[in-house]
Amino acid sequence: MDVKYKVNRLQTTNEIRPLVDKHWADLRTAKERGELVAWASGPTFIFAYAMGMKCHFMAGYSAYCGGIGAGEEVLKVAEMAGDLPETCSYHRLHMGMGEAVARGIPINPQAILPMPDLMVAGRLCPEMSHYAEGLHRRFGVRVLPIDLPAVANIEDMPRVREFVYRQFKEVVIPTIEEVCGKPFDYDRMSEILSVLKKVATLRNQCWEFFKDKPSRWTLWDYGVSIAPVFYLMGNPAGITYYEKLLKELQERREKGIPAIAPDGEKYRLYWDGWLPWAFLGKFMRKFTPHGAVVLCGRYPWEFFPHPELIDPEHPVESWADLYYGMESHLVYTFSPKGTIDLIGKLIDDYSLDGLIMFSSKTCRVMNLAQPEVIDVLDKKYGIPGVIIEGDMIDSAMISDAQIETRLQALYEMIDSRRR
Amino acid sequence: MAIVVGVDVGSLCTKTVILDGDGGILSYDIMRSGHYYKGAADESIESALKSAGLKKSDVSYILGTGYGRGAVAEADAEVTEITCHARGAARLFPEVHTVIDIGGQDSKVIGIGDNGRVINFVMNDKCAAGTGRFLEVMALALSVDIGEMGDLFFASKEKVEVSSMCTVFAESEVISLFAQGHKKADIAAGIAHAIARRIVGMVGQVGLREKVVMSGGVAKNSGVVRAIEERIETRLLVPREPQIVGALGAAIIASERMSATIG
Repeated sequence: MDVKYKVNRLQTTNEIRPLVDKHWADLRTAKERGELVAWASGPTFIFAYAMGMKCHFMAGYSAYCGGIGAGEEVLKVAEMAGDLPETCSYHRLHMGMGEAVARGIPINPQAILPMPDLMVAGRLCPEMSHYAEGLHRRFGVRVLPIDLPAVANIEDMPRVREFVYRQFKEVVIPTIEEVCGKPFDYDRMSEILSVLKKVATLRNQCWEFFKDKPSRWTLWDYGVSIAPVFYLMGNPAGITYYEKLLKELQERREKGIPAIAPDGEKYRLYWDGWLPWAFLGKFMRKFTPHGAVVLCGRYPWEFFPHPELIDPEHPVESWADLYYGMESHLVYTFSPKGTIDLIGKLIDDYSLDGLIMFSSKTCRVMNLAQPEVIDVLDKKYGIPGVIIEGDMIDSAMISDAQIETRLQALYEMIDSRRR
Repeated sequence: MAIVVGVDVGSLCTKTVILDGDGGILSYDIMRSGHYYKGAADESIESALKSAGLKKSDVSYILGTGYGRGAVAEADAEVTEITCHARGAARLFPEVHTVIDIGGQDSKVIGIGDNGRVINFVMNDKCAAGTGRFLEVMALALSVDIGEMGDLFFASKEKVEVSSMCTVFAESEVISLFAQGHKKADIAAGIAHAIARRIVGMVGQVGLREKVVMSGGVAKNSGVVRAIEERIETRLLVPREPQIVGALGAAIIASERMSATIG
């Protein structure tokens, strides 16, 4: 480690926090203004957004709590209320917040949300079912469950797409119409998709700068910039944000500024699994001193990687196609076969040297077949990978020395293959 | 003559190996790490130097490894124990392709390619089950010296299942097995098989490729070695001193780095 590496921080990313804070502040005060509130899991929040409901998304809230450092205290409340530490930390976080409010236990006020008028429970995994069930049983929340099946074979996509599309049309939309007392606003859904299409197109242009050698930014920079293609969906401020980000990255390319000083990365890495929302800084400090830069990952690449397929003129059909269409086949990438296909493409696109498989101890669905994925990709592309265990929010699941050793071993494996 | 030192500061023991300019082992040392890793590293280096009849000023390069590698104050560099175990095992058994290392508080399986290069590896995480510490606790529960555990395995006549993977729960399970009237030797064999079961799962993740070397302090327990051999249906190669494999690998890398510097 003779070279002293240092992160070159992007200026634009400082502008995301006010947008994010405003989103959550609006949500916190929605009931005071007489607005309806929805919570959502899976790709269902757009239907609530289209009806003008203030809405929060399961993983988005968890990312936010991680970012404001409120995760630990909320998780403790959940455990005090009887939630097992081994259960999904996203689930525990929501139960903890609900229990804190119900029992009058003080937590960070920024982490408090109003209980929803409707929980749109898109069930991508068993824990999402438990989450919805817990909200109903413990807090009396009205729950609208729909099934979003994993797809192992890409040939099955059309049939499953039809199943999901019919749930959107025949279950989700009528229920939201009933809760809101008005017809579904297809025009607003189209507007949201138009904005999303622009934002995701700009974001894809920014992704091109990961291909530069050295890279102009890191996955962590994109991680903190994810809200405009996620729960800030439909907010035109997202367009402005990504226009600025694109401009800054273009300037970096022109001036030859890399993501890390002095001369850019020694190792170009892939990140699998959830982003460790509460530990982004901790992990960055394990990458940068070694000259490692994480460039891309499966989860951050889930957010509309094919904006060209977004069709605002057919909003509901397009929404189903984005997740289950043959061209986009986003849900297929959740399967081991789909994961291997996706990572293979990322290895080619971004000239990767190694794979980090972040295995969340409380989310086994996301970790499916990670050793096998490493093995297949190593044989095909000749690049090594490691599994590191941890969690998105819960520090009790993070072992610093273990992670440090695994990451250093990955760097050593890359070095030995270069010799 | 470029004298190099490899120091493996593990959670339970600190090991030092000193190599001469031709790569021959001049001396080695093994001692408990205790709570002060820096002191243990210093003391172990001193002890190994004394055995070799050398002074600190004779040493050209020191390389630290193990969880406490950052505590080797005079180290010129540090490398993970994964790489070091692979290199050490490949020096002792050039035909090695898999290393099973069970140390004080962790266990790992390393897949090795040509020239001792690490291809892949898995490690246990945040749990002492199946490690040296696990065996120590079990020896206490059985009221035997840890050195006797291996011999007890071979005296076993009846199969006893120790099913828990948790050190604390396994200890209470052992007490319960005693209460049921099971013999010490049978319980000791059950413990060895419990460790083997855990290791075999890790071997499966890495992929078994012969030859297989076992390193780390637990390799001194012939019962555990046999239990693993039975499960993977492969003979394990155990170095004469399995605890120093990581430190040996560190010294080999130190020697290479010295040569590169001089060259």
